[in-house]
Amino acid sequence: MSDIRILDGNMPETGATVTGTPRKSGLKHILDLDKSEPLIELAQTVRGRAFIFLVFTGGLLLSGIKSWQTSILIAVIATIYAYVPRLRSAIVAIATLNVIGLLFGYPLDGVKAVMVQERVSPLAATTIMRGALVAYTTMVWIALHITRRNKGLLIARRPVVALLLISAGLCGLTCLPVIHGIARVLLWSLLTVVTTNIWFLCYGLVDQRARDPMAPLFRLGIFHPFSGTSSVPWGKGAAFLNKTLAKNPRDLAITQLKAIKLLFWAIVLLDIEKLIFFVSVAWLHIPELAKVEAAYFGHHVAPAWIGWASLILDTVIAALSLTVSGHQAIAVGRLAGFRLPRNTYRLLEARSLAEYWNRYFYYFKELLVEFFFLPTFLRTFRNYPRLRVFFATFMAAGVGNAIYHFVRRIGFVASEGLVNATVNFTSYIFYCVVLATAIAISQVRSTAGVQLPTSRLGRFSAFAWIWTFVVCVHIFGDESRTYTLSERLQFMANLMGVY
Amino acid sequence: MESTKEEDLRKFITDALRARGDRKSFVDGDSLFLSGRLDSLSMMMMVVHLESTFGIDFSEVDFDVELIDSLSDIISFVDKDTVNRS
Repeated sequence: MSDIRILDGNMPETGATVTGTPRKSGLKHILDLDKSEPLIELAQTVRGRAFIFLVFTGGLLLSGIKSWQTSILIAVIATIYAYVPRLRSAIVAIATLNVIGLLFGYPLDGVKAVMVQERVSPLAATTIMRGALVAYTTMVWIALHITRRNKGLLIARRPVVALLLISAGLCGLTCLPVIHGIARVLLWSLLTVVTTNIWFLCYGLVDQRARDPMAPLFRLGIFHPFSGTSSVPWGKGAAFLNKTLAKNPRDLAITQLKAIKLLFWAIVLLDIEKLIFFVSVAWLHIPELAKVEAAYFGHHVAPAWIGWASLILDTVIAALSLTVSGHQAIAVGRLAGFRLPRNTYRLLEARSLAEYWNRYFYYFKELLVEFFFLPTFLRTFRNYPRLRVFFATFMAAGVGNAIYHFVRRIGFVASEGLVNATVNFTSYIFYCVVLATAIAISQVRSTAGVQLPTSRLGRFSAFAWIWTFVVCVHIFGDESRTYTLSERLQFMANLMGVY
Repeated sequence: MESTKEEDLRKFITDALRARGDRKSFVDGDSLFLSGRLDSLSMMMMVVHLESTFGIDFSEVDFDVELIDSLSDIISFVDKDTVNRS
């Protein structure tokens, strides 16, 4: 059974395992949906497909999608994608443009700040933002074509380096004192569009090396297809999505049943999240972490146990929220026919920090591994195996992680200035350094052959250590930049009872 | 020699799949990394294995996952590298 469950979690398997137990509980039925031969047969008929559509739409609504109209729209688009192959490229492009349109239909934070600084009217800023989006889409189209033909160019060979240089160049230009008014708003709009889509574009450029012929519209449309407003490409790039597409009706039926199962888990976890929140806040009166921190810095220090309870609560809620949103996105991808691995998978079963990291946010980890770990690993310290693993892991979980988060919130540079935005980021840099060092040590240990615990006591010790570590570093992993590193260290020391 | 190489690689892939709980069989052309059956960390282990067993220098290679995405891809990549070095 455990093998079957592992397969279900992170393996986009193509076949189904038929189980023949005569009596099953309701939960067992749901867990085994994708292994039930009669259901797989039914899911290939018109009646079965209609049933899947209805159940999925209802499930999407229950899993936290705000309106029934949105749930229906998402399910309709994914269903058409699954059953009408000739419309796929157009659907992906339309869905992508829709998301991008929603994102950039109004000025984002950084642009808003510049707009106020430069006294540009909101109407003009919105027009500029849309213009920047059109310019960006055109540039992406050209870049994809050029890199397909000229694989020796820097942007084709080292897309991350090239795009980060372009972003840094644009950022530098916006900070020049001679740039004012509309020109500065225009530059900021372009910078915002580039940085919001930078990782999608990296995958797009890397995919240009793929041997599979893919429709140009599909390639262009792959930005933000199933990932909503997240800047992590869930489902990676076009080449990965293409490979994971169900190959026959049976495969598709199993994948769609898995989509329903994943949505079921999303609903269960969302309810658990609500229950934990209700019990802790309404019954136990444990305040949210932000309030405990604000009280501490306002000289109204809460008892240490309240601080710890609030910190643990915040860490658990963050993990549950990520799991629910990941399950929703991957379920939509599966309904469309992509046999995508889960984003978060059995977090509580991790036996080492490296394993925890692997299970926590699969697609973010893949992004860091692909764009930071592998390039470092392939080129450095070849004769020093442990140092090689350590350094490459540090570059991914530390440097890559910090770059990703700095670029994601580039708007802070506009509102706070480059120096302040960097100084206020030191708390997150500290978080990255501690996290990366711990993961790198864990990674070196596993590649050196250190066995993971298998006994109950060993597993419990690993669980206790991992979660103690995760809770402690959670204080520093807040991206809001409300407090400096020194303030967060003070808060931590206070929780420990030493300050 | 050819079959030893293939056996070695087949065993390595089988072990890597099993370590991820995947006990399904695979054929020579099956996608391993791009399909998600093996993840990027398994790719690292594969790179180390190819370096130590077949002496491939990946710093000299314009690396792309498609080079080692299936057993047949890996075999042809190793063969090509051997020819280039000889």
